[in-house]
Amino acid sequence: MTEKAKRNYTLKVWRQKDAHDAGRMAEYRAEGISPDASFLEMLDIVNEQLVRKGEDPIAFDSDCREGICGMCSCVIDGRAHGPGAATATCQLHMRAFEDGATIVVEPFRARAFPPVKDLVVDRSAFDRIIASGGFVSVNVGSAPDGNTHLVPHPVAEKAMDAAACIGCGACVAACPNASAMLFVAAKISQLSLLPQGQPERAARALNMLKRMEDEDFGNCSNHGECEAVCPKEIKLSNIARTNREFIRASVCSDE
Amino acid sequence: MGWLFRTLNSSIGKKVQMALSGLLLCGFLVTHLAGNLFLYGGREMFNHYAKALEENPLLPAAEIGLLLLFLLHIATALRVTYGNKRARPVAYAKTACAGGKTIGSATMVFSGLLLLAFLIVHVKTFRFAPDRSDLYAMVMAAFQNKLYAGFYVAAMAALGLHLSHGFWSGFQTLGADHPKYTPWIKRLGLAFAAAVAFGFASIPIWASLR
Repeated sequence: MTEKAKRNYTLKVWRQKDAHDAGRMAEYRAEGISPDASFLEMLDIVNEQLVRKGEDPIAFDSDCREGICGMCSCVIDGRAHGPGAATATCQLHMRAFEDGATIVVEPFRARAFPPVKDLVVDRSAFDRIIASGGFVSVNVGSAPDGNTHLVPHPVAEKAMDAAACIGCGACVAACPNASAMLFVAAKISQLSLLPQGQPERAARALNMLKRMEDEDFGNCSNHGECEAVCPKEIKLSNIARTNREFIRASVCSDE
Repeated sequence: MGWLFRTLNSSIGKKVQMALSGLLLCGFLVTHLAGNLFLYGGREMFNHYAKALEENPLLPAAEIGLLLLFLLHIATALRVTYGNKRARPVAYAKTACAGGKTIGSATMVFSGLLLLAFLIVHVKTFRFAPDRSDLYAMVMAAFQNKLYAGFYVAAMAALGLHLSHGFWSGFQTLGADHPKYTPWIKRLGLAFAAAVAFGFASIPIWASLR
């Protein structure tokens, strides 16, 4: 197997010591990078060089590195999770960037995602939204008999598609309004479509949306940038469903 | 009544108010444009239409309703925009369109503010004109001013841009979204935006070229 030609890049990375630091862009060279390296591996290589030089490595979030945990983030060249459809930053490879390119790397920016350090932001606002209603309170006892809960296949598919959301926050990062509607809509949709979600359906919609507002996210204005960057391809139709859920809960329920 | 205030002040509640007022204003645009097109029928036809409209006893109520719709749409837009700007205190150094945004969606505030400026001038020029005895002559005279006709056409371009996103967006906000018809609502929105913008803009162009 022939080894592919290594590539060199110029990185412009946001460096910020802590939440109180004003932050600034810093320039680094990423040299001898394999086109098959993932974006995060490229950052690892740059960090190794920084450590060897006695400098502070670039802080960034990552965990599973296979696109299922929702931990990695970054806005790369102006796009949340970088170029490429339906991929998280960990699934982005350096072959997506031409040799010699300058790559701008910034954290997810939103008032609701306060900075922690460099490219790391605090996304616990999402956890608080989930805690406000993104669950079902059911007795899990023994397994129910088959066909006790009737779910038509197309509905099950829609619920599963919504449940694919990994809560990474790219929707917020990409939204010109820093709105969290796609995330909240995925979570509300996933449960409101299924029988187990019905008892708390109205309260869930109202409470989760209220929490979303209290966390200082912006308002959705139907740009669709969230859908375009979502690594799990969560559809905008979930937001329309959530609008219906909200109207239904406000007008037709006892909540 | 607590639920009502809570609903109207919520994020989706504000958007629903934007959508409903916006779609009702689309209805107003249709009737306004239909009326304006009588100008092509000549002095007698237009003045006959204008007289019948102004003698309608329900006109003051309709005008107040229209004013309230505009005020609701504008006030809610400003509240929503303030919240949106506040939600991202630090801007990105580099932004790229991922494929969702359109020129229309990205410029809603600017096209809206231009339309507000236009509305103020427009109402002052035509609704509160000093001499309203011959409305046909008044409109034709106003459009002889090339600067005014140009401003009018520019405002209609902004209207088309505004509607290119606003029409579809209104349906989406009200929850009317389905693969069965959403592509058609989007197409209808673009056709409506183009028809309304060209329809209104054709009049000053025609009048100033005569």
